[in-house]
Amino acid sequence: MMFKSVWFLRRLMQRYGGNSKQRSFVRLASGAAEGAVASPVDPGSITAEQAVRIWAQHFKQHGISEPLLSSQYIVAHVLGRKTLECVERGKLRDTLTDRERERVWNLCSKRLTRMPVQYVIEEWDFRDLTLKMRPPVFIPRPETEELVGLVLEDLQLRWGEMYRTDLRCLEVGCGSGAISLSLLHSIPQLRVFALDQSQTAVCLTTENASRLGLQDRLDVRHLDVINVSNPPYLLSQEMKSLQTEILRFEDHGALDGGSDGLSVIRPILALASKLLTERGRVYLEVDPCHPPIIQKLIEERMLGLLYLETRCDLTNRPRFCILQKNGKND
Amino acid sequence: MSWMLLVNHIIATPWKLKWRAPNTGMCNRLSLQWHRRQLGWPCVLFAGKKDLIDLPVLNEEDLDEQFVRGSGPGGQATNKTSNCVVLKHTPTGIVVKCHETRSVDLNRKRAREILRQKLDIAYKGEESELLKQKKETMHRKQDKRRKVNQNIEKKRLFKEMLYSDQGDKKC
Repeated sequence: MMFKSVWFLRRLMQRYGGNSKQRSFVRLASGAAEGAVASPVDPGSITAEQAVRIWAQHFKQHGISEPLLSSQYIVAHVLGRKTLECVERGKLRDTLTDRERERVWNLCSKRLTRMPVQYVIEEWDFRDLTLKMRPPVFIPRPETEELVGLVLEDLQLRWGEMYRTDLRCLEVGCGSGAISLSLLHSIPQLRVFALDQSQTAVCLTTENASRLGLQDRLDVRHLDVINVSNPPYLLSQEMKSLQTEILRFEDHGALDGGSDGLSVIRPILALASKLLTERGRVYLEVDPCHPPIIQKLIEERMLGLLYLETRCDLTNRPRFCILQKNGKND
Repeated sequence: MSWMLLVNHIIATPWKLKWRAPNTGMCNRLSLQWHRRQLGWPCVLFAGKKDLIDLPVLNEEDLDEQFVRGSGPGGQATNKTSNCVVLKHTPTGIVVKCHETRSVDLNRKRAREILRQKLDIAYKGEESELLKQKKETMHRKQDKRRKVNQNIEKKRLFKEMLYSDQGDKKC
């Protein structure tokens, strides 16, 4: 998903080779994939501003998306800041040290291979946290920040000042741990159980939790929920006695597959049905076409779940489904 | 100490206090102001960098928010890193652009904080919180300088007295 095929790179080379008159500065960058795309010549002495401009132009010429932004984020990162806006005006006009310049060239060359910026600088922000990023673990999206906001809002409405001391959440498909860690950071009484089918994701989530000092309230497990129709014994036993509110599951690409597109949702909802306490909730981040499918599934299967509502993201697309486990008297 | 308790409370639920500003702004203002008068201690100490307490409250209906995130289906199909937030206050026409962080959520919050400060200056002019704070710090510095000078003066006089005493003794 994140890396283009060799075929595409070759096409790029053809386009590039055809305009060789315009491109008089060529030097094969040592880090470039397949030795395909060349970096601009290292001019020796350069200010931060100039580096941003040179690389932005280079990215643009090579069809890299968000050329200026990529360049800005990388240079800012090398200068120890999150965005270029945070770098002091004076520092931007200072000459980069040899080490800084080398780093900029190194990282920007990686971006030339179409590696996402988040993987290039190996970190990204999620709400008020900074998390380590590592391919191929999923990069948290801005919409997901909204999901966390939604959950926090909901919790505040339901429990107000007095958080239950035994508040528990389950996250299916934690990736880099963005959602779990964000919630743990905001709610001191919360304990989270996080699952992911990728061992790399599990390791990354654990690493991020340790870096943020949240590892005590987080339990991360390597589990492929999709291929398990019943939750494993251990999971059930641990979760049964505790209040649980299930969180979203990672659906990228997964919902797309399957013969009826529901091969992932069914086990997830079954899991929710078994593990949730009364009035416990499920928050799903989905594709805009999914809410009606999910609604229908809930009605058909009689899982004891109620479809509460669909919420839109900031671009006004249906993005979040909220379900609730029925109470005894519902 | 009551102000210590207040600090702990804020730290424990920062998300609740800060981001609830539009609806509960009034309550926060009143309760924190009461503490301020009680202790004569500037609230800026535990309200963060700027004194958020007396800044104008924002009405979400007056705001026009845009995210420079480009077109596309959004969600997991895209990987856009542009998290810049452009916030326009329609009644006054003031526009704030914020790209201080790599998080859209944080940029939205920061944009609102910056807008509140700008509105404050626009509405109150000389009386705005920012200018008041600057004046306050300037006065405090002047007071400090005056005290330091006074101390130096006192020491000088004391030394003079000492030497003159010694001079007397010698004579």
